[in-house]
Amino acid sequence: MAYSDKVLDHYNNPRNVGSLDKSSASVGTGMVGAPECGDVMKLQIRVNEENGIIEDAKFKTFGCGSAIASSSLATEWLKGKTVDEALQIKNTDIVNELSLPPVKIHCSVLAEDAIKAAISDYRNKQGSKAPVAVEQTVA
Amino acid sequence: MSPTCWNCGKPAPSRFCAECRALQPPASDYFAFFEIPRALAPDLKDLEKRFYALSRQLHPDLFSRKSAREQEYSLESTAILNDAYRVLKDPVARTLYVLKQEGFDVGEQSTKDVPPELLEEVFELNMALEELRMGDEDARPQLEAARARFRKMRDELDADLQRQFAGWDASQRAETLAAVRALLNRRKYITNLIDKASHVPDRV
Repeated sequence: MAYSDKVLDHYNNPRNVGSLDKSSASVGTGMVGAPECGDVMKLQIRVNEENGIIEDAKFKTFGCGSAIASSSLATEWLKGKTVDEALQIKNTDIVNELSLPPVKIHCSVLAEDAIKAAISDYRNKQGSKAPVAVEQTVA
Repeated sequence: MSPTCWNCGKPAPSRFCAECRALQPPASDYFAFFEIPRALAPDLKDLEKRFYALSRQLHPDLFSRKSAREQEYSLESTAILNDAYRVLKDPVARTLYVLKQEGFDVGEQSTKDVPPELLEEVFELNMALEELRMGDEDARPQLEAARARFRKMRDELDADLQRQFAGWDASQRAETLAAVRALLNRRKYITNLIDKASHVPDRV
């Protein structure tokens, strides 16, 4: 089974490899893994706290070509989106864009999980920083 | 096995019909095939004895002058015998098999089954390996320490698994199987790590 050109492109020239300051309040970190293949994926976003737009996204993935390509593509898509828009990214979008075969669908699921984990980490940080604001929106 | 002999129609035959001695179609469940109870920690000595005995009883050469139907059952039985023995003598393959037979989905699984500390550790180990591959020898002691740590984790997990195996074999509680599956997931991760940490590139 051959990888699609798009997977190969992301694998050979991964976008946005690296890391952001984990301790910053504007950075959300998602670390996810797939037990069955031993892959591990770290995805980080830096959010503009004024307007909720994701200004930067970085990843580092140890895994197969499809896992690397899925997370590379995810960081490309994340930049410029608001946090709410980012939550709309579905693993099936990644599958379609990269033409992933059925046996590699779990790689795209991993990337979607990583996005959600990063956003949830960011929101937790924001929540604990401004507990009053959170209480107001809830009430 | 079917309730009646395909050849003489007498009821409840075992592997060979008690009446006409005809070979019956094999049971597809591996434990049923060996005529032992489903267990996570079966008696492996007994299993081996049964394997050799059945190999002698079921060998296709013994059926060359029997009916076409018996020849076919002999081939099927021998194939199941080999598959069943390969799976049941291996602790991980056997456990996955029991989970599957008990209705647990052992395919795709989510991140939630992996503790976050372990993921962090996996990530750090991979970073150290990568540095070493790029020629940074400072990462080597870190890697060796990681390998020793992961081996210890695997040994502890195996001891845990043995305890759970004994527990399930005694009481067949579904919760025990769920715990077994979670332990196997961790074990898979850890064995991958040991493999990775063991294939350390030589000094460049």
